[in-house]
Amino acid sequence: MKGIVWPRFSHGAVMVFRRDFLAWVKYYKSSLLLNFGEPLTNLLALGFGLGMYVAKMDGVPFVDFIGPGLLAVTAMNAVTFDTTFGAYDRLNVNGVYESMVTTPLSAGEIVAGEFLWEACRSLLYGTVFFIVLLALGLVHSWWSLLLPLPLLITGALFSAPALFVATKAKNNEQLFYYFSLVITPMFMFSGVFFPLSKLPVLIRDLILITPLVHVVDIVRALILGHPTDSLWVDAAVVVAYTVGLSILPATALKKRLTG
Amino acid sequence: MLHKTAITASDVVRVEGLVKRYGDFEAVHGVSFFVSEGECFGLLGPNGAGKSTTIRMICCLAAIDGGTIQVLELPAFPGNQAIKQQIGVVSQDDNLDPDLTVRENIEIQGRFYGQSAGEARERAQELLVWMQLESKAKAQVRDLSGGMRRRLVIARALMGKPRLLVLDEPTTGLDPQARQLVWAKVRELKSQGVTIFLTTHYMDEAERLCDRLVIMDQGGILEEGPPAEVIARVVGEECLELSGISEDQQVQLARHLGDADVTFSEWQGEIWAVFGSQLDRLLQRWQTLDSSLPRFYRRRASLEDVFLRLTGRDLRE
Repeated sequence: MKGIVWPRFSHGAVMVFRRDFLAWVKYYKSSLLLNFGEPLTNLLALGFGLGMYVAKMDGVPFVDFIGPGLLAVTAMNAVTFDTTFGAYDRLNVNGVYESMVTTPLSAGEIVAGEFLWEACRSLLYGTVFFIVLLALGLVHSWWSLLLPLPLLITGALFSAPALFVATKAKNNEQLFYYFSLVITPMFMFSGVFFPLSKLPVLIRDLILITPLVHVVDIVRALILGHPTDSLWVDAAVVVAYTVGLSILPATALKKRLTG
Repeated sequence: MLHKTAITASDVVRVEGLVKRYGDFEAVHGVSFFVSEGECFGLLGPNGAGKSTTIRMICCLAAIDGGTIQVLELPAFPGNQAIKQQIGVVSQDDNLDPDLTVRENIEIQGRFYGQSAGEARERAQELLVWMQLESKAKAQVRDLSGGMRRRLVIARALMGKPRLLVLDEPTTGLDPQARQLVWAKVRELKSQGVTIFLTTHYMDEAERLCDRLVIMDQGGILEEGPPAEVIARVVGEECLELSGISEDQQVQLARHLGDADVTFSEWQGEIWAVFGSQLDRLLQRWQTLDSSLPRFYRRRASLEDVFLRLTGRDLRE
């Protein structure tokens, strides 16, 4: 298929990753704070507040139910905010990508570097949230030690569409459409706050073709300690999404930078 | 092409019959020129002449719609890493990375060119010293002055030890001191054997720095050659600017233009300008006339005269 560009994982991509890391080091404190305020508030207000009225959800205490879901959302949001607004600036405001392609770097390598960095970011922010859950006594299984794997993939998965949106957006405001039309609905309906089992079949199937619900399933199963065979399906969907979406930003960025 | 010149094997850039289209609009049509090893070559032209498009194609950043470009004997096409590895690009805008310090900005550039951490650190240090930026190594780029930012952009473009350095309007917006420093550094690079490809809107800059240049307009080449030759050919060696004369007076004086080697004369607002060579003969002739000679200013003709002669005085927007 002509014109399709895949991310290219190379020495150059690792250097783009390094660039992102060097930039992050300068503002990590405010970044961590910003990314935790919201999920932590949700956890405390809904988990413990609403949890007093909702006795159990799917067989576990409400706060135990939403904790893992919020962890998955934290990872998704940490990646999405950084990629949309950050990449938009690097592409349209300060010319960082434009400068990169004058060096031997290609658009595919830039995108691969961003994926690598966002995978790590997802791992990092997910892990800090995990420590909060641990401190609150909401972690119930040694299976949790496997969490880094889904977190890394989640980072790459959600950075792909975010980077694509950043490449296509004509102005800063258009990035908010992505949040209000894609990210927020996914957040509300992906089984973070309530199980999908009681929803009408049609709606449930609709939700099941989106990616976040599968990440939530995996994370919850590992933290609560009841992995089932259906996790392989979840994993397959997540990987398929990650691979499939990865061509979008690389192709769009190449067109933008060397069209 | 106006002046065919033999193309030799040591050409760093060789452009032949280059065409670029955007939809129906042909931005570059059939341009040919070459850049020899070790020279400073200038590409001049008003806004919209096709300069930036041509540069982007040479730097492997845009597709070529017709003709060929060879850079360092390799065919240029978007993303040709073999070429990009050997060139350094200073683009028009300051596209420094605002999230990195001065030192990080150029060190990471070395890494993009495949250098090891140690190699990049060493080269970055050398270049910071050379560009007089060492004291600012730890600063954020937003805290730098315009001149410093420009020097950093140039230093960054040199990180990959390029054989060809592309400078797209390197001194736009700089104060005279900063311009002088950039010029000195460009000359120094040239003496080290780096081939330089320059575009600029400052004709004095092109005249000082370029061994050879091309003037483009509307996607084609109008003139080509060393600055002095181009000036002599297009406008002549010198210019007489006469101010405060009436049109009658001008008609009378114009009768004697044949006495010197006049290329052309024209009104430039209130001033009547006469271009050519051996204009002292014209002055002598005029002094023998009855009427007193109006105020005049005699100067060497410049590249700016050539540029305006070729591309017109209308504003380009």
